[in-house]
Amino acid sequence: MKNPPRRLFSSDSIYLAVVLLPIILMIALFIYYPAVDTFGQSLTNRNLRIRRPPKPVGLANYVKLVEDDEFWEVTGRSFTVVIITLPLEMIVAFGIAMLLNQRFPGRGVVRTLTFLPWMLPGVVNGFLWGWLLNGEYGALNGFLYQFGFIQEYQYWLREPAHLIFWVTVVQTWTRYAFPTIILLAGLQSIPDDLYDAAKVDGASGLSRARFITIPLLLPSFGIALVVEFIAAFQIFDVIWTLTAGGSVGGSMNPFTKTLMLYNYELVFRDLRVGLGAALSYIILLMSLAVGLIFVLRVYNQGVQEA
Amino acid sequence: MNLGLRGQERLRLAVIYSLCAVVLLWALAPIYWVLVSSISTRQELYARPYKIWFPSQPTLESYQTIFTQGAKFRSGGFSPTAHLMGTGLRNSAIISVASAGIVTLMATGAGYAFARMDFKGKNLIFLLIMLMIPLPIWVSLIALFFLMSQLELIDTLLGLILIFVTLLLPLSVWLMTTFVRDIPSEIQDAARVDGADRWRLVYSIVLPLARPGMVAVFLVAMLTTWNNFLIPLIFTRTDDSQPLTIVLTLFIGQYEVAWEDMSAAAVVTMLPPFLIALFFQRYLVRGLTMGAVK
Repeated sequence: MKNPPRRLFSSDSIYLAVVLLPIILMIALFIYYPAVDTFGQSLTNRNLRIRRPPKPVGLANYVKLVEDDEFWEVTGRSFTVVIITLPLEMIVAFGIAMLLNQRFPGRGVVRTLTFLPWMLPGVVNGFLWGWLLNGEYGALNGFLYQFGFIQEYQYWLREPAHLIFWVTVVQTWTRYAFPTIILLAGLQSIPDDLYDAAKVDGASGLSRARFITIPLLLPSFGIALVVEFIAAFQIFDVIWTLTAGGSVGGSMNPFTKTLMLYNYELVFRDLRVGLGAALSYIILLMSLAVGLIFVLRVYNQGVQEA
Repeated sequence: MNLGLRGQERLRLAVIYSLCAVVLLWALAPIYWVLVSSISTRQELYARPYKIWFPSQPTLESYQTIFTQGAKFRSGGFSPTAHLMGTGLRNSAIISVASAGIVTLMATGAGYAFARMDFKGKNLIFLLIMLMIPLPIWVSLIALFFLMSQLELIDTLLGLILIFVTLLLPLSVWLMTTFVRDIPSEIQDAARVDGADRWRLVYSIVLPLARPGMVAVFLVAMLTTWNNFLIPLIFTRTDDSQPLTIVLTLFIGQYEVAWEDMSAAAVVTMLPPFLIALFFQRYLVRGLTMGAVK
């Protein structure tokens, strides 16, 4: 602090300006400014179908949404997806993590192949399963028929009530690799001594799981649940190709319309910009709590652990 | 039952391998089936009720069709999509490689700053970048659409690259910050005493040591960009900028497109991520789990 003016022009300042200013500018221009602007628009009745200058309407859009049955239906559906997907994913992930935690020849290859679905495009995954579940020529029908589980081909995606279930199955298939990796790392960090000591004390396999494995894995489950909550809550691509109908201008399947698809429909199909902007802020509020837990964790690791 | 040690080990492996078979069936069956569908002849693909699990005459005809004539309709004739696969492939490649390259460079420079330098507002800037992660993208997306139209960046590769780089920044910066922090600082301090300025330091000492981290950031960025669907769905209109994920949904949307052709398009769309995931998975896992696993 002895000589501030000189410090200002030192090469450190120039370095910082060159590497940080573009980042700050891009984030400000493409993320934060639009976020504020979106909020502003949520307070207007902007609608691109109607030629009129948008007028400020206060919180009318928010009120309209909250009083609308469709909004609650869609919100309920989004949470249904989350509530079914999370346990499904955790069970699959825990089972696979336990298996991959064993030592056996070929484990690396099995692990690599097991994590593949997570790294493929979501729209492809939705298509893969849509084709697999196809009622006329689908492979699942062929498989079950050949092994005698069904007497005739089923239309798996016809019954509206079943659609959400299949959406969660495909979401689980797309995402289970992440919790598996987290849980596997958690398992591998449990020292063998603990199990050995428990064995010496005569603890059964079940009580070893109950008193050692599960408690020590809780933090890993925590991370996995938060990240998977965000992923399932924001589900979009998979539904688009599995059940939504797919085509850009066409109508959207009402039985699998979740919050993100509803938001897309409001803004980019119905062109009700004000209403859609309000919805996006309601979605922000819904995911804020969970998101904050995540960012605080990342932040603590990133800056303060130095 | 007394099996003896070797017998017990054999039994253990037998159980493990049968469980592995179940897991691999779950993980790979859908991928296997789309591959088979894309190289099957029509008769075999539509066989029922018994499916043909291995095509007896594998053919690449569907791939040839979608690239040269456009996707076949089930009732005959072709959809006018012959050029879309080619332009889609080109657009996907340009967008993902350019975004990944740019974000890797930016994140390396910033990562060094956050890991090794002290400056005013450091924590605040870092927090502002990281706050993007839990922010549902829709909050920005709606007004961003109008901003991009004003800037005349809708339906351009440049517009997509700018958006992707911005969206990739938080994860990339976070990763590079932790990677640089893991490099022993003694070497850098020594160079600093010798009077090397920051640029020289980053270029000649940090870059070579941070290379595995940069590869991870690049591959993760490339994969996420290639796989993304929502951004091009909103910001593209024509074959000038539509990537493969969009082209694939155009096929799916047209309900009469033949399944073998859609399968071929799906295989082309997932091939690069598939190969990267197969051969560079270590890097991806490290990058995509954000250091939750060390």
